[in-house]
Amino acid sequence: MSDDRSMLVEVATGLFGDLCTPEDVVAAEGSGWSARLWDALAESGFPYVSVPEEAGGSGGDVADACALLAVAGRFAAPVPLAEAGLLGGWALGAAGLELPEGPLSVAVGRPDDTVSLTGGPGSWSLSARVHRVPWGGRAERVVLLAPSGGSTYVVSAPTSSASVTPGRNLADEPRDTLTWDGGALPDDAVAEAPPGVHADALRLRGALARAALISGALARVSDLTVRYTGERHQFGRPVARFQAVQAHLVTIAEEAQLAQLAVQVAAGNARPDPSFADVASAKAVASEAATTAARHSHQAHGAIGMTKEYELGQLSRRLWSWRDEFGSERWWNRELGRRLAEAGADELWPRISTGLVTA
Amino acid sequence: MHFAVTSLTAAEEALRAEVREFLAAELPAGSRPALGFAGRHAPEFSRKLAARGWVGMAIPPEYGGHGRSAVDRFVVAEELLAAGAPIGAHFVADRQTGPTLLQFGTEEQRRRFLPGIAAGEIYFSLGMSEPDSGSDLASVRTRATRVEGGWRVTGTKVWTSEAHRNHWFAVLCRTSPPEEGSKHAGLSQLIVDLHADGVRVSPIPYLDGSHHFNEVALEDVFVPDEMVLGELGSGWQQVTSELAYERSGPDRWLSTFPLLREWLREGPGRDAGKHATDDEAVVLGRLASRYRAIRQMSLSVARALDAGEAPAVEAALVKEIGTRFEQEVVEALRAAVETELDAGSASLFEALLAEAVLTAPSYTLRGGTNEILRGVAAKGLGR
Repeated sequence: MSDDRSMLVEVATGLFGDLCTPEDVVAAEGSGWSARLWDALAESGFPYVSVPEEAGGSGGDVADACALLAVAGRFAAPVPLAEAGLLGGWALGAAGLELPEGPLSVAVGRPDDTVSLTGGPGSWSLSARVHRVPWGGRAERVVLLAPSGGSTYVVSAPTSSASVTPGRNLADEPRDTLTWDGGALPDDAVAEAPPGVHADALRLRGALARAALISGALARVSDLTVRYTGERHQFGRPVARFQAVQAHLVTIAEEAQLAQLAVQVAAGNARPDPSFADVASAKAVASEAATTAARHSHQAHGAIGMTKEYELGQLSRRLWSWRDEFGSERWWNRELGRRLAEAGADELWPRISTGLVTA
Repeated sequence: MHFAVTSLTAAEEALRAEVREFLAAELPAGSRPALGFAGRHAPEFSRKLAARGWVGMAIPPEYGGHGRSAVDRFVVAEELLAAGAPIGAHFVADRQTGPTLLQFGTEEQRRRFLPGIAAGEIYFSLGMSEPDSGSDLASVRTRATRVEGGWRVTGTKVWTSEAHRNHWFAVLCRTSPPEEGSKHAGLSQLIVDLHADGVRVSPIPYLDGSHHFNEVALEDVFVPDEMVLGELGSGWQQVTSELAYERSGPDRWLSTFPLLREWLREGPGRDAGKHATDDEAVVLGRLASRYRAIRQMSLSVARALDAGEAPAVEAALVKEIGTRFEQEVVEALRAAVETELDAGSASLFEALLAEAVLTAPSYTLRGGTNEILRGVAAKGLGR
């Protein structure tokens, strides 16, 4: 890890450690987010890591953003950090639109979404209904990709003119439905999407961001489970001494490492954009790891893990949500498998043996 | 515990390209690939590989080797295993005995064995397990008794792979009684000539009918003093360190890769003029994405070894998940094709699948069972 990235991770870890304790997360689940945490992150420029400074962002690259998201995942941070930088900020920056002061989220591209942008400069109007928008009701702006007249446009839609139907994922993170009913948009909220900014690219970034969050949460789940089973005594000794429990610990550690490395490869190779094969591998591995590690960590913890206050549940409920967001392991495995089958048997090993590529 | 993500340098990629070119020339298209390092014993291939400098890579030039890095060895090993190359003759000597001799052997032993190992001409077996000693290796009963100029060894080793073809084996045996409170004391490793008087090698038929395993009975076999490997009484420390660092290579996760490739060739892809069904694509994608991630773990350990670190826990984790994955590949493909297995099938894939089903249980046993590995790894996680 570069010195700059190590520093970023260290500073972020300190900040989350202060402002995003398990108690803070429980409190935030009631209201859906932590304004205090968001404000502190915004003050440090964290939401726009990986968005170029020329575009009003904080600079850094995709790997920096993913390292930051791993920290956020480890602390179960109740804020739209992934949506602001890697997704929304990327699209706005590339399209030359201004980054908002307040929280930024993004329409994730659900099959049932409808987006209609009509008019032109001086007369733009937006009719849209987009689902499962992370912290949609809390965001100041939501980024939409809108087809119009043969082109695709990046829209920085103000939520002040949207109606919001709240929804939540399993971790009580807001996943809201937002509707715009043909209201006018200012010219500085619309720009033609430059090459490379499209729905598939957004999905890759979304999947990579979720995989990064998962990898951070998994590392914490692993640590928590090792700690708990080392402290918990039954039959006169720590339960971690039992072979059956050791099997859980080892499986969790393995899955956490697989996810972390897959994310680091995908993020490290994103110069500047992540590739399909890297992201498909990373999200598929991370989503499966989430499933496996959550199961084994709950089994190793016993009943304490089933309580809302205990930290494990905050993490496992996120793992169970994030593994499906921006495509489940089955979805990504299928897409990856199709391409590999098209490429043929002799291409298989060269593709598998491509890992992190030297810059 | 830490796995640092790492990439291959341009020089390492160039080495990979050389190995690929060599294999393309040496392994005719359509030939049956070996599954894993124990898959095929082919001395001629081993010597050709050695002539290219790809055996004895860990051995310094002064002993006839090439002084290459762990990552260079990783690259060569993964290319060989992915291609299903027949590396069974030299692989154990190369992976295990060579490094052990370098670390613990006498100067005389190094000069005697290392050049031959690096030339792909001297092959070793491992003499660890006995009828009553498996995972509890310290309970071995093979005993060496002091005599003029050396030792007389008596005992029985089992599951000794390729003892009927190899030249030597490193025998873990008791050279003095266990001490109070330490059954690990008093164990030593002796290098025993598999053709010496008193050595009787008899086959133990393998599950697939092949001759792979042997029982090696030692009856009063004379072993001269100069064949004591390392320090007398340090056998336990030597075998455990030997096991620790050789756990994490591509031989622990690639054994069944040729099976996947041949499935793709015959089944769901462009080679057969087909499009993968959803289920087939999911299987292929899942195996490929996990191969990539496990490979990155394994590569990370090689890089750490080159940096002088001692990643014992990491290596145990790689072997634990890698060998389980080797088995998962077999079952995933079996589930994907829904056929009745026949080792004599005209389909290369189906014949390989039959072979894999019959040999896969060994992956999570050889070199230390996964139960033992999990214990090692879990203790490391708790620290």
